[in-house]
Amino acid sequence: MSEKVLLIDDEAEFLENLSERMSVRGMDVNTAETPESAVTAMDENDYDAIVLDLQMPGMNGIEMLKLIKKTNPDMQVILLSGQATLEAGIQAMKLGAMDFMEKPADINALTERIKKAQAKKMVIVEKKAENKVKEILNTKGW
Amino acid sequence: MSTSASDNRASARFFGKVSASVSHEIKNVFAVINEAAGLIEDFTIMAEKGMPIEPKKLKRVANSIQGQVQRGDAIVKNINALAHSTDEDAKKVDLITVLELTLSLAMRMADMKQMKLEMGECESASTVIDQFGLIQVLYKAIAQTLELMAPSATLIMSITTDETDAIISYVVPDQDIALKLDDAVLDLAQQLNISIQNNTVNGSLDLRLKRVD
Repeated sequence: MSEKVLLIDDEAEFLENLSERMSVRGMDVNTAETPESAVTAMDENDYDAIVLDLQMPGMNGIEMLKLIKKTNPDMQVILLSGQATLEAGIQAMKLGAMDFMEKPADINALTERIKKAQAKKMVIVEKKAENKVKEILNTKGW
Repeated sequence: MSTSASDNRASARFFGKVSASVSHEIKNVFAVINEAAGLIEDFTIMAEKGMPIEPKKLKRVANSIQGQVQRGDAIVKNINALAHSTDEDAKKVDLITVLELTLSLAMRMADMKQMKLEMGECESASTVIDQFGLIQVLYKAIAQTLELMAPSATLIMSITTDETDAIISYVVPDQDIALKLDDAVLDLAQQLNISIQNNTVNGSLDLRLKRVD
């Protein structure tokens, strides 16, 4: 099953080139240049992973990460930054980012992380389904 | 810390802040070029497997690389100009050139706050001054003004002249805010013989410098 990914970055050409490279690798990719369009995309779609630029006009990546995690705590978020400092990386991981990569990112490394994100999501979905079934069984006393 | 050491520290911090912003921009340029080059590689691999290359796509990617190289070149020119502004203690400088450079260096800072910087009408004027110091004052004035502005606002900088002075004016149209600078910037301006006044008529912050022909 192809991975469904949302790319969030204010650099339009970066989004265009990276999304095309990811599409060539079989991924289903949406892009968003602003926090507002990112929120709209997240409301309308269910993603396996979100790749998010750390520094964007209006709302930085950490704030965006907090917003994503608030509305969808299980969402797998990969942060991209031009300056991957240890401090920023630790802060991102504490807030629940799945990973933190420095730009320019290696496409193979990024693809690998997205595949892991999809696998992680499937485990979470299955676990939730399992818990739901158990809950029903307990409630109904079968 | 003594005043001189404190001034040096402030100057170093300013240069560090601008350098960090510039390096971040250049990283973004590399990121776009990296993906464009990777896409060309992907097209090549696809062609080797018998899939046709779309000339339009290839052209778009090539143009993207060329555009980013020009962008990167402009960024490097600006930081180079800032670096060389330290070459002499005082020299004759063209104020439009200095203001344009400062604006370019501050553009990313404004973009991050979703605010705009614009050059207004500028009369030709020159002064003899420590160019690095002047850029520092102008840049910090922009930074501190941005802090006072509401989102999406525009800061317009222009240059006018009278018989003796060149006046660099900062104005934020449609916003009734009192533009002001902190003591550190005011002190630096004073050391450079720049007089700073609030224009109560049009609400601008005016930086006055002695003109030379």
